[in-house]
Amino acid sequence: MAIKVVRRPTLTLWEKTYLPQILRGLRITSGHFFRNLFLHTAHVFGRFKDVPASVTIQYPEQQRGLMSRFRSRHRLMSREDDTPRCVGCMLCETICPAKCITIVPDEHPNPTVEKYPVSFDINLGMCVYCGYCVEVCPEDAIRMDTGILDVASYSRDGMKLDIHQLLDPGLRKPIATCNLDFPHKCGVSGGEMKGSWNGSEGRS
Amino acid sequence: MEDLLIKLALAGIVYFGVLNLAGLHTWVERKQSALIQDRIGANRASIFGFTFLGLFHSIADALKMFTKEDIVPTGANRVLHTLAPMFSVFFALAAFAAIPFGPALEVGERTIELQVAKIDVALLYVFAMLSVGVYGVILAGFASSNNYAILGGLRATAQMISYEIALGISVVGLLMVYETMDLGELVRAQGQTIAGGWIPFWGIVAQPVAFIIFVTAALAETKRTPFDLPEGESEIIGYFVEYSGMKFGMFFLTDFLETIMVAALATTLFFGGWQVPYLQPEGFHFPWGAELPVANWLYVLLGVMSFTFKVLAFCWLFMQVRWTLPRFRYDQLMKLGWKGLFPIAVINVVVTAVLLLLFGEGS
Amino acid sequence: MPSLTIDGREVSVPDGTTVIQAAEQLGIFIPRYCYHPALSVAGNCRICLVEIEKSPKLQIACNTFVNEGMVVHTGSEEVESGRRMVLEFLLANHPLDCPVCDQSGECDLQNFYMNFGLYNPRFREHKVKKQKAVQVGPHVMLDQERCILCSRCVRFTDEITETGEFGIFNRGNRAELGVYPGTELDNPYSGNVVDICPVGALTEREFRFQARVWYLSSASTVCNGCSRGCNIDMHYVLDRPHLNQGKRVMRVKPRYHGDVNEWWLCDEGRFGFGWLDEGRLEAVRGPTEDASWEHALNVIAKLMQEKRVGVIASTQLTNEELFLIREIFPDARVTASVPERPGSSDDFLIKPDKTPNTRGAALLGLAGPNAPDAEDIVDEAIAKKLDVLWIMGHDLVDLFGAEKARELSESVELLVFSGTNESPTAELAHWVLPTASYVEKDGTFVNCDGRVQRIGQAFPPLADSREDWRVLLDLARLAGPSLEWSSPAEVFRELSEAEGAFANMSYETISDQGALIPSAKPTEAAS
Repeated sequence: MAIKVVRRPTLTLWEKTYLPQILRGLRITSGHFFRNLFLHTAHVFGRFKDVPASVTIQYPEQQRGLMSRFRSRHRLMSREDDTPRCVGCMLCETICPAKCITIVPDEHPNPTVEKYPVSFDINLGMCVYCGYCVEVCPEDAIRMDTGILDVASYSRDGMKLDIHQLLDPGLRKPIATCNLDFPHKCGVSGGEMKGSWNGSEGRS
Repeated sequence: MEDLLIKLALAGIVYFGVLNLAGLHTWVERKQSALIQDRIGANRASIFGFTFLGLFHSIADALKMFTKEDIVPTGANRVLHTLAPMFSVFFALAAFAAIPFGPALEVGERTIELQVAKIDVALLYVFAMLSVGVYGVILAGFASSNNYAILGGLRATAQMISYEIALGISVVGLLMVYETMDLGELVRAQGQTIAGGWIPFWGIVAQPVAFIIFVTAALAETKRTPFDLPEGESEIIGYFVEYSGMKFGMFFLTDFLETIMVAALATTLFFGGWQVPYLQPEGFHFPWGAELPVANWLYVLLGVMSFTFKVLAFCWLFMQVRWTLPRFRYDQLMKLGWKGLFPIAVINVVVTAVLLLLFGEGS
Repeated sequence: MPSLTIDGREVSVPDGTTVIQAAEQLGIFIPRYCYHPALSVAGNCRICLVEIEKSPKLQIACNTFVNEGMVVHTGSEEVESGRRMVLEFLLANHPLDCPVCDQSGECDLQNFYMNFGLYNPRFREHKVKKQKAVQVGPHVMLDQERCILCSRCVRFTDEITETGEFGIFNRGNRAELGVYPGTELDNPYSGNVVDICPVGALTEREFRFQARVWYLSSASTVCNGCSRGCNIDMHYVLDRPHLNQGKRVMRVKPRYHGDVNEWWLCDEGRFGFGWLDEGRLEAVRGPTEDASWEHALNVIAKLMQEKRVGVIASTQLTNEELFLIREIFPDARVTASVPERPGSSDDFLIKPDKTPNTRGAALLGLAGPNAPDAEDIVDEAIAKKLDVLWIMGHDLVDLFGAEKARELSESVELLVFSGTNESPTAELAHWVLPTASYVEKDGTFVNCDGRVQRIGQAFPPLADSREDWRVLLDLARLAGPSLEWSSPAEVFRELSEAEGAFANMSYETISDQGALIPSAKPTEAAS
């Protein structure tokens, strides 16, 4: 094992009084203080607008850009006919470490598709945003790229996303009408089955 | 009767100023720290859309404090629990009575000292009030029936008592130089000049070492960073952990009042109080020989402005220190107080005594 | 007895043994698709390739008979590359829809590919499209694309059920599995083709999309469908109530027992588990309203004091419970002999007696020629010769008619019904006690051959229901003789001491293979 000798600096009496370092610290903070005070005042009079006086981002009005790999709220991708791409394989439900995904699959009329989700719920109150569901999906049916960060609710129920909100990230609870045209267990109608494969019912 | 009215008016002026300044401190603290740290600071509270640099946050704070639920923990001593913050605020406020904030104002036949209470041993009175303030802290810790609170209270008490000694001894040299305990007299005594009239003979000139000890110890008395171990809001929990609402607000207020108190004391003791350089009661006597007569009312006005300016400058400095230095560790704190400031203060007294004996007027 | 060396270990096996069987004796597992110990050897899947020294090329282990001095390698480089190539061919037309395949997770194609797969496919051609989701029978769904044409199912229907529904049609890469035109896979053992299918070509329609197999928990128990007592594994899910409408039991799979059911299970037993989660009694019902167990048992115990009691026990109950009934009601008219109508039967597995423990009840004297008949007891109760009647699970309305059941409930002072499911009799009873089903409790059954088999508890009883033995012990504490026992194991220990037929038996000696009663002769169950 190599030995590294750390030499502690020996201080002079003047340094031992702390005063020089306190003064240096005060110089730094005061420098910032007067510079920013001057700049803020100058900005009021329309001068030095190109020199920022603070690094603050005024959050709700000013939003910081997200990294492209950032994992935000989930969404379900859909096929060209607006039915979910999800084939109900439940791999996301399986891999989910928080057990926040619940899927009820059913028979798809097209035998080459086999399954589709009758209900697909994500409980964001439990979600840990690990992104495993996205990684594991064989159909690219779920993504976490909505850019939605402000997931908040007054009730635990409000944190549960059903298939409407997942297919259309713009939707917010309470959802007034259901416009999905494939059979699904619909949160709008209290968990009843809505819609059909011929697409005539359930459209609003 | 007239005397009483004058006293009431003086008290009104002092406490109006002091309390407002304390309220403003919450805003100053936010804004100053923001400027130091390249931020903007609180700017959201608005009345009819006007934010006015975030000044309304102080009002919002006050409203919040008054409307929040007041919680007294089970098992706490109800009376003492309520009394503790009142003690704190009361003694912090009472100390201001002895601070002279301007020269004597002459209205007709009457001479009004701009000082709420003219006390011969005002310095002792102020120190006494500051010392009694520790009762609020220890009572708060004791009455909360909470181990963290009582430990915080004990920490605070130990700290305040330790630094009071250095604080007290640091001003002894000053007393020896100016030979008075009356703060009014002390300020007037600082009106002299030395070095051929070029340098005003302020406390800082007479006792520079005492000034540094005094400011350091006084900062410790105010329990603010870098000496905020009694509070340590986020980590070690202070004596007021069981306080909420306006009771907590009173401790909060006490903090700011003490800062202003210390600023006022430092001004009075070491920076000539309301003295303006080269300004004598009759007018300016510049060292190069020029003279400029000044009316009494202007003299008083300049004095009050000078005092206010110095106090504000000290407040700014203390705030700047608070946002510059990190907190001490408790052993460092005690070491600094007992092994650093106290011996230096004593040596300062001895050296001052010897120098006075050798070169003083009495020798 | 030729002896041979497999992977450096020597073994002696009888003449006529194949290499795959010899390897099994050594505990060496050789991959297989078409080979099944119960079926004839087809040798068409080629995955069981092994290297035999002095043989010019790889041989299939399932159809190579052992010779004296044979030296076999099952894991050599050459063997693995051979298997890799076989898998490449098998997957040439396999759709690889594992994520949506019900077999995924218990699929041999998946498993072996993990071990020997190529992982870098060379086939660029389009896969042959065949029919998916073909309903070949009431219980079985066929996916022709997934089929690897191992012909296990064809041989099963030819050799075991001898019904011959399945066939392989067309040739080459268009060869496909199907049922003969005009037929349907509707024999009483059709579910077994799902078990033996090594891939996801044949799946259960009942289990289709209900759960992924890796969500399933498994508990071994014994089928209660008939007196055969087939060994089964109960597959259930407790932690994902959104699946299958919250039902716990997902499916039943046979468990190998050489002397009882071998690898097989009839469809009746395989799909007859719906009652475990449907129409269950969930709360104790008193004469006017729901009550707590403690209150109900106190009331019942009080009403039973000094009264003439009749108990119609059931051959659905375990030996331990029947023994407890005998001990707790020594003076009562007790029988488990109930004239249930005999059901279907055949000469393979299915027995006409549709209760699992008639033999046990007979050994305990609660059934058989010496036991009173249930109808007599009901008649005595109607004639007010009995004050209290306790019915355990039987539906008297179905057995004796609604009129007689109503008459009974009006004539006795106290009519207690304990059972698992809602029934018209429960409506007539004064007190209804919900009890646990056989998978929710521990105990033993005696099957028609006199084999004592243990049914382990798979999961706790539903809602407020309780195991019968617990109810009986609680009642004994309140009303009857004080019994010190607190678990089925302890009851069984007493039982084995008291009854010669069960002598020297314990849960340890029964284990998972069961234990034969010494005097066991196959007798027809008394009814």
